[in-house]
Amino acid sequence: MDAAVAERNLTLVNRDAVRDKTLRRFLIGDRVFKTITQVSAVTVLALLAGVIAALVHGSLPAWRAFGLDFLITEKWNPVTEKFGALAPIYGTIVTSTIAMVIGVPISLGIAIFLTEICPERLKRTIGTAIELLAGIPSIIYGIWGLFVFAPWFQSHVQPFLIDTFADVPVLNQLFAGPPYGIGMLTAGLILAIMVLPFITSITREVFDTVPPVLKEAAYGIGCTRWEVLRRVVIPFTRVGIIGGVMLGLGRALGETMAVTFVIGNAHKIFPSILAPGTTISAAIANEFTEATGDLYTASLIALGLILFFITFVVLAAARLMLMRLARQEGR
Amino acid sequence: MANIAATPRYHRRRWRDHMATGLAIGAAGFGLTWLVLILLVLVVKGVGGLSLAVFTEMTPPPGSAGGLLNPIVGSLILTALAVLFGTPLGMLAGTYMAEYGRYAKLTMVVRFINDILLSAPSIVVGLFVYEIMVAQMGHFSAWAGAVALAILVIPVVVRTTEDMLLLVPNTLREASSALGLPQWLVIRHVAYRAARAGIITGVLLAIARITGETAPLLFTALNNQFFSWNLNAPMASLPVIIFQFALSPYEDWQQLAWTGALLITVAVLGLSILARALSAKKVQL
Amino acid sequence: MSLAVRTDVKEATATPAEVAALEPKVSVRRLNFYYGAYRALANNNVDLYKNKVTAFIGPSGCGKSTLLRILNRIYDLYPNQRAEGEVLLDGENILSPKTDLNLLRAKVGMVFQKPTPFPMTIYDNIAFGVRLYEQLPKSELDGRVEDALRRAALWEEVKEKLDASGLSLSGGQQQRLCIARTVAIRPEVILLDEPCSALDPISTAKIEELIDVLKQDYTIAIVTHNMQQAARTSDYTAFMYLGELVEFDDTTKIFTNPKQQRTQDYITGRFG
Repeated sequence: MDAAVAERNLTLVNRDAVRDKTLRRFLIGDRVFKTITQVSAVTVLALLAGVIAALVHGSLPAWRAFGLDFLITEKWNPVTEKFGALAPIYGTIVTSTIAMVIGVPISLGIAIFLTEICPERLKRTIGTAIELLAGIPSIIYGIWGLFVFAPWFQSHVQPFLIDTFADVPVLNQLFAGPPYGIGMLTAGLILAIMVLPFITSITREVFDTVPPVLKEAAYGIGCTRWEVLRRVVIPFTRVGIIGGVMLGLGRALGETMAVTFVIGNAHKIFPSILAPGTTISAAIANEFTEATGDLYTASLIALGLILFFITFVVLAAARLMLMRLARQEGR
Repeated sequence: MANIAATPRYHRRRWRDHMATGLAIGAAGFGLTWLVLILLVLVVKGVGGLSLAVFTEMTPPPGSAGGLLNPIVGSLILTALAVLFGTPLGMLAGTYMAEYGRYAKLTMVVRFINDILLSAPSIVVGLFVYEIMVAQMGHFSAWAGAVALAILVIPVVVRTTEDMLLLVPNTLREASSALGLPQWLVIRHVAYRAARAGIITGVLLAIARITGETAPLLFTALNNQFFSWNLNAPMASLPVIIFQFALSPYEDWQQLAWTGALLITVAVLGLSILARALSAKKVQL
Repeated sequence: MSLAVRTDVKEATATPAEVAALEPKVSVRRLNFYYGAYRALANNNVDLYKNKVTAFIGPSGCGKSTLLRILNRIYDLYPNQRAEGEVLLDGENILSPKTDLNLLRAKVGMVFQKPTPFPMTIYDNIAFGVRLYEQLPKSELDGRVEDALRRAALWEEVKEKLDASGLSLSGGQQQRLCIARTVAIRPEVILLDEPCSALDPISTAKIEELIDVLKQDYTIAIVTHNMQQAARTSDYTAFMYLGELVEFDDTTKIFTNPKQQRTQDYITGRFG
């Protein structure tokens, strides 16, 4: 063969060999990387499973000792080692309910204000401010609640509430004194302020998904702004709003620091919401490091398991609703 | 058509509209007032205790003067470790969801579970890490605290990484694949680079999230009165110190608690603003 | 250059006496419109005659939709947009700040390019508008709904399923629902903004027939990028280009013997 041709053939063979090696490296790299990422994704699932497993394992002594009666017993006595979750569960539900009842209408009002009423120039400033406020750690709300809000509430609002409802048949039980300042109502109100920015920003995002043409069509037949909101925007975004509210509820249920400072830490159920109480997270936060004895610790972990279960259900339902809204949009 | 202006019905509609507008403005004013009030009180009370000593002296026993050095350093160490542990894992998971497994069933499940973990009660995370680390090791440690915080970091990073990678247009990926690059190099050189600002934003947001988290540290890293570098021992952190000092009856401890709270808030706001500025810049590009 | 005779254009039937007797329902005088600092409409003057169909044609971006949206002041929803000049509805200037917008929009209805049924039942979609303005006993309300659906040529297709969601209809049916909704509140002027551009040819034909019937009771303005549609459905045509109203005349004249060179170029497909 010609020398030049032979040389050219050799170069080609070499190039092919180099290319082969590179291609093989590419292939291995791809397989390795893909496996690493897949494992990482599965780790997220493993985390959830791990949390559930650890909580179940750690709380077993309590379940073995008390059975399901744990859920309906109010007694909480570290000395005699008799524990019951009723008071913390009650407190968690009541404080979160107060937070939602007060926080959701105000959040909706703020969202409506921002999307429909606020002048353009102010909209971005106020909107950004709300988003930033959503990031303030809950311990800030906690200490503000304890040192600023509770004393003011105690001297100015609670006496007023107690007096106003003193003669009303059912409500005077609900608002009975003495005015401690701290307590269930206080904790619920602090929680309400805390979830405000969160629910507001989700509602705003949801409102923004309404196609402008739809709103124009409603204005086009002469609807007032309120009518457009009530009959077109809100029905259109109903599922999203509920999803957002439930996300806020999920947050409120699991809140620790905002509540611990002002709930009063009493493992008892009082009829009055002005009285102290406890929530699951507050009980765990306050007592875990001092808990002596396996049964005490296990009971606290059992509380944690109950809380995780409640929030998981609420958050899962919320996500499903929001997913439905996304599908409705055709996303 | 009849002259509608005169009908009482129309006046009632107008009146309802004005009422609703008024209520919305009222709600906005009411809600925003409380939030502004909280910030104002925080600044006023926090600044009162602000001094150089806060950054140079250790936490004092009640009755003496001191600072927040060990909690500040402790928080920085815990945060750094948490980001170190959580970010790679989160990024890799997000990468799988957006690149290799975009349409896989696994991705849908992971996304769902991840979103739940995003809002899960942080105190439960603390209990979890207590069970698997503190109880096994027999003592509290900074490692445990860092792991607890890392578990909070992961969902945030997973979410932002996936969202940012999904935003990268497929045409970019196709162009590099057409050159013969394998998928992992396409991801490394093209997708990551394009989504870089967004992913960094995600990390900043994750840091903002764990700054100020108290509950997960309460029974993992516990607390430390003294300055310590020992990762195998309890470590002080700002949120836990605030918790302890605020609930105490000592005035100077309470003052330090306010100052600490102000520091945390400034850090969180600063990080959030930085994150927003970064993502705004990306859009302009 | 002479144009081939267009057989799809309607015969001009107005006698000089009839032309003199035409009253403008809406008069646009010296209208300028701004998006921020950008002037989108420059010194427009046009009349919409009572119970006639006026078409607005022109290439994309010429301002025809912008002009239409001024006639019911729907642009008012957006802060950066403003109009200067005069738009007289029955002699009153609707651009004045004293104008009650809700009442204006009750008189001047609009149908949009994309069908927009409200998230309600078919019955409620129509009844919603009527209920806003009048309190009617159920039997009368039923009658109004049926009347509106008949006028929109939709009654036969939906009379069995008035409780179904408005979103369950096909695209063409949804658009006719929107027309029925607009007609139900008995406006005086109906604005149609490219009503058929999202629809198939059969639905388009149905709606064009509808327009021919509707004009007996309403003054109609239609924006369309389809010249043939303008020629088929309208009595008067306005040609717009880059924010200017170049020519306004009898439809027959515009399509067979336009006065302006630009109009002729557009009609013959030289540009646009």
